[in-house]
Amino acid sequence: MSSSGLERPQVVAHVQQALNYTLFDCKWVPRSARLLCLGSAARGTGLIQLYELSGGRLALLREIEKAKPIKCGTFGATSLQQRYLATGDFGGNLNIWNLEAPEIPVYSVKGHKEIINSIDGVGGLGIGEGAPEIVTGSRDGDVKVWDPRQKDTPVANMEPLQGESKRDCWTVAFGNAYNQEERVVCAGYDNGDIKLFDLKTMSLRWDTNIKNGVCSVEFDRKDVNMNKLVATSLEGKFHVFDMRTQHPTKGFASVSEKAQKSTIWQVRHLPQNRDIFMTSGGAGSLHLWKYEYPAQRSKKDSEGAEMGVAGSLSLLQNVTLSTQPISCLDWSPDKKGLCVCGAFDQTVRVLIVTKLNKV
Amino acid sequence: MPVWLREYSWRQTSTAVYLSLPLRGVRVTPANIFCTDQYLKVSVPPFLFEAILFAPIDDTNSTAKIGNGAIFFTLYKKEVSMWDSLTLPNAGKEKLQYLRENAVLKAHEKAKEETEAKKVTKQEHKKYALEATMKLEEAERTRIEDLKEKVRLKVTKELELWDKQQKEAEKLKRLQKEGELYQGGDQVKEKKKEKMNKARIPNEGTSKTRLKPTQGCHGSYSMFSEGLKEEQLPAPRSAATIKISFTSRVFPTALRESRVAEEEEWLRKQAEARRTVSADLSELEDLKEEEKNPDWLKDKGNKMFATGNYLAAVSAYNLAVRLNNKLPILYLNRAACHLKLRNLHKAIEDCSKALELLTPPVPDNENARVKAYVRRGTAFCQLELYAEGLQDYEAALKIDPKNETVEKDAEKIRHLIQGTSQDS
Repeated sequence: MSSSGLERPQVVAHVQQALNYTLFDCKWVPRSARLLCLGSAARGTGLIQLYELSGGRLALLREIEKAKPIKCGTFGATSLQQRYLATGDFGGNLNIWNLEAPEIPVYSVKGHKEIINSIDGVGGLGIGEGAPEIVTGSRDGDVKVWDPRQKDTPVANMEPLQGESKRDCWTVAFGNAYNQEERVVCAGYDNGDIKLFDLKTMSLRWDTNIKNGVCSVEFDRKDVNMNKLVATSLEGKFHVFDMRTQHPTKGFASVSEKAQKSTIWQVRHLPQNRDIFMTSGGAGSLHLWKYEYPAQRSKKDSEGAEMGVAGSLSLLQNVTLSTQPISCLDWSPDKKGLCVCGAFDQTVRVLIVTKLNKV
Repeated sequence: MPVWLREYSWRQTSTAVYLSLPLRGVRVTPANIFCTDQYLKVSVPPFLFEAILFAPIDDTNSTAKIGNGAIFFTLYKKEVSMWDSLTLPNAGKEKLQYLRENAVLKAHEKAKEETEAKKVTKQEHKKYALEATMKLEEAERTRIEDLKEKVRLKVTKELELWDKQQKEAEKLKRLQKEGELYQGGDQVKEKKKEKMNKARIPNEGTSKTRLKPTQGCHGSYSMFSEGLKEEQLPAPRSAATIKISFTSRVFPTALRESRVAEEEEWLRKQAEARRTVSADLSELEDLKEEEKNPDWLKDKGNKMFATGNYLAAVSAYNLAVRLNNKLPILYLNRAACHLKLRNLHKAIEDCSKALELLTPPVPDNENARVKAYVRRGTAFCQLELYAEGLQDYEAALKIDPKNETVEKDAEKIRHLIQGTSQDS
């Protein structure tokens, strides 16, 4: 039993660092062994800390304090040389920072009336084509797409109709950016709605409801024709949608899994292998999953319309690291298996997942 | 009376006494032999042999061999000596008695000690077994830990290697760039200008202002790789808005806020209430068919209330309640009638009964609950129980904070209470 157990990928805790503030997001700085921690200090200000992974420790390189607590950040829309960080904070402000000169943001806009819950960027880092854009989702129910070259107004705005009750948008993700025109934004809301907006035609492409609030959505790759979408929710359930075939009424095929009893806070796909992803849970656990494609990805239904076929999921490994929820997770784009996760017990942990080549 | 056995033969050495006791015709078992260090007894009913020994013997090691119609004792002496006789002479009756009792006690003690000793050895054996298993498990665990540790070390080393590589790569890049800078200084500047111009032209057409040009401050190396790309970037999207609406639900709350369980319970209760028809058909036989229908009776009652015929309304509601006592609306309406008739206690009772039936509290039965609280509050106030009345009004306000009449009445009551407390 133990020998076969050791053949599976192992999650090794490499470094652990205790912080004195609440950590909301952690990101690897592309092309380096440095990572960023974003959060909120006890006195109500925002903190950005830059750490370097050297020896067996995390060495603090820089600490930047800002007026409002910072909820989320991304490097997705910046070039590899500039590596500007885009952040969303508790006051609804979207800022893009140059970490070498962080006093004044490179771009700043008060995008939303309430906290920006989630942010994503596309078009940067040498991945994908098209203009770099940033999307933010906020508690005021709006999802806005920004272009760093255009001040003050978003280039796309997905907001509720007049008179509609607003639902918090909890998560946003870009996808389908395989050429300069195509782009898609997926947004998850707290009442279980998942909406897919097509930015080329500026329309709602698909809408579904998974009953429980959607904590995190991610496409397996932003820069290809949309392949898979994972949406995680409260009460331990997550769904994997096969996005290659859209049926006119039934939408996309999906497979769902209930892994744990607690909320699944984040899902992140391994940048080097798009069929492996990790989910982090409210009980401080991490699960590593592999998706297997079915023999035929689409089939015809009774009326002859194409319908997708969902594959199957297998759990590769799971590990419990903390007693508090692990709220943020990021794979390093440069080293396969290296990831950082931050939990609400104010620790950031660097983990290494082994044997991913053999999976 | 036992038969005393007096025929025995014995001989001795310095360390042992050998006693032979003939016992013909009877079966002897070890239970019949009782021996302590100075007393020996063999009792095989009806035969009895008893001897107070000359000197103490070692009774644990002494043996008795039963067979061939005789018992052969081998008694080991405690002290090396030669005995004058087997038994003690001058053994008086009291001495005998005393010795006997003593002997019995001693035997008991010995038995106890033996059991104790056995227990102790058993415990030790158990402990040993436990420790052995623990050691095995420990070994297994350490083995797995070691394996994990090895994996971890390997991985850490790999990481350090990669880390070093990264740093070196970065250093190299930087050196390269600097080298190039120094070499082609002027050329660089020219190229820069060209690229700037090219980049500007496609953007002139658009009306969006360009934010801080990022090429300027970052040195020329960014220009080399990025300049070309800048040209190919499409213009920012023309702004557009997509209007969305959210999924409507039967109960307009998200699952995590939903009190689905309670709402379903409420629906079930309603369904049940409509189905129950209570007994007592004997009295109701002379009623017409429609008069047996609680809903019809309720409507009748409402009509009579509207025309001001409160007594008739009450009787209609009474009959309806007899038929079906699970419909809260009947109690509510009857309470209203009682209020008008100034039967305040009855009104309070009916409101309370209605509220009981209106559990669990869900948005569906909000209106009914507000009415019940308001009516009960009114009844209390008319009875001059202002505190209780205010309580009910506040409960009503909690359910429906926007109701202005309830708000006003609550204010009035508060003033009244304050007025009376000031007086007293």
